[in-house]
Amino acid sequence: MISILNYGMGNIRSIRNALNFLGVEHKLIDKPEQILESKKLILPGVGSFRLAMENMDKKKFIDPLNKAVLEKKIPVLGICLGMQLMAEESEEDGLTKGFGWIKGTIKKFDADKLKIKVPHVGFNTVIFEKGKNTAYKGLGEKSDYYYVHSYRISYDDCDAVSGWTEYGEKIVGSIEKENIFGTQYHPEKSQSNGLIYLKNFAEL
Amino acid sequence: MKNGSYQLSRNFNLQDVGDLSWLKKRYNFDAIAFSIDELIVVNVERGEKNVDVFCENLLRLNENCFMPIAAGGGIRSMDDAYKILDSGAEKLIVNTPLVTQPDLVKSLVKTFGSQCIIASIDFKKYEDGKIDVFIENGSKPTGQTIEESVKNAHDLKCGEIYLTSMEQDGTGYGYDLDVLEKIVSSSKIPIIASGGAGKYEHFADGIQKAGAPAVSTANLFNFIADGLIEVRKTMIDRGLDMASWDLGFRG
Repeated sequence: MISILNYGMGNIRSIRNALNFLGVEHKLIDKPEQILESKKLILPGVGSFRLAMENMDKKKFIDPLNKAVLEKKIPVLGICLGMQLMAEESEEDGLTKGFGWIKGTIKKFDADKLKIKVPHVGFNTVIFEKGKNTAYKGLGEKSDYYYVHSYRISYDDCDAVSGWTEYGEKIVGSIEKENIFGTQYHPEKSQSNGLIYLKNFAEL
Repeated sequence: MKNGSYQLSRNFNLQDVGDLSWLKKRYNFDAIAFSIDELIVVNVERGEKNVDVFCENLLRLNENCFMPIAAGGGIRSMDDAYKILDSGAEKLIVNTPLVTQPDLVKSLVKTFGSQCIIASIDFKKYEDGKIDVFIENGSKPTGQTIEESVKNAHDLKCGEIYLTSMEQDGTGYGYDLDVLEKIVSSSKIPIIASGGAGKYEHFADGIQKAGAPAVSTANLFNFIADGLIEVRKTMIDRGLDMASWDLGFRG
């Protein structure tokens, strides 16, 4: 049973559709005590990092999440903004602290310097890091996934990269650190490649 | 989509074609859903648009869609936006508000992020070559040039521009490559070409001849049988780097 945490930052329905399609049981949770009762967690997310952390704080999700993820070590998957929250801090809209479960700072793409269009929108190739592909089982060495973001973690900043993508620079596509998983891209929007990633996470 | 019924459009004149079960059966929509990169669903109801009815239909449409969905038409308040996003869309499309409610657009960008907002610009080319941007389902001329409209979308910090040629719409004659090329080269934000695609080659032309980063079609004739899969194959044959996945994956 996967618990999807509703912390007011959207994008829950598509994830539920994907899990339904895969025949994976899931439920929506929105109370602090439900976090600690969960066997497996998904942190969805679209929008502002600062607003997200404010919501997490307001809803009193921060302590139970730290406990569930760091102490109880339940498998957790952060999607897009959900993954970014796992990092140390974000420079979006001022400086905001994240959960700090993985190393790295969220910074905006430097469009002018890298001569790229921002946001980074569309399918792009994720190259899997060797030895770090539990969730990429059955997908070979690389696969295409759907990205839509203006802020990213640089590959060099992060200690938990499981997949990276080239977009003007090398960025973190996905992370994996023991029980902690995250994708900058949207697996629920990446056709079969994403469905397989979700299936693998569900089967952990 | 108009009141739960899917529409064929030609020069922005609408023809009812059928409801979702008809779309699924006649066009094998669930299979088509596995062959495209993204889906755009627009509420083209003339006059007052019922967002709730649109959202109900959007929900049913996207149950088996695992690619990005942009939806809109009739967004006039933050509430409308929340409803549409809650119905499974990740991006919102706004057209008329770019002109009549710029503060709403600013608010949408601030709340949901630039990447969530697509500026839809409909343009009509007159016989003398003059181009005018239209709003309200292509019914009201704004007096704006495309350049002014594109600049407005930039100023409002929209993430993408969905640029539709009203002349070419539904004709199958191909995109307006001249206008497309001009706008693509002057725009900092990505342009999605729209209006006119009818042959497999048109899609690749939009990208290779006009430089558009994305091409689209709403012409149901392109959806028949394996039409969209063939489009994809043609684009790959023309050397375009298309995203790949298992087109036959069913769970």
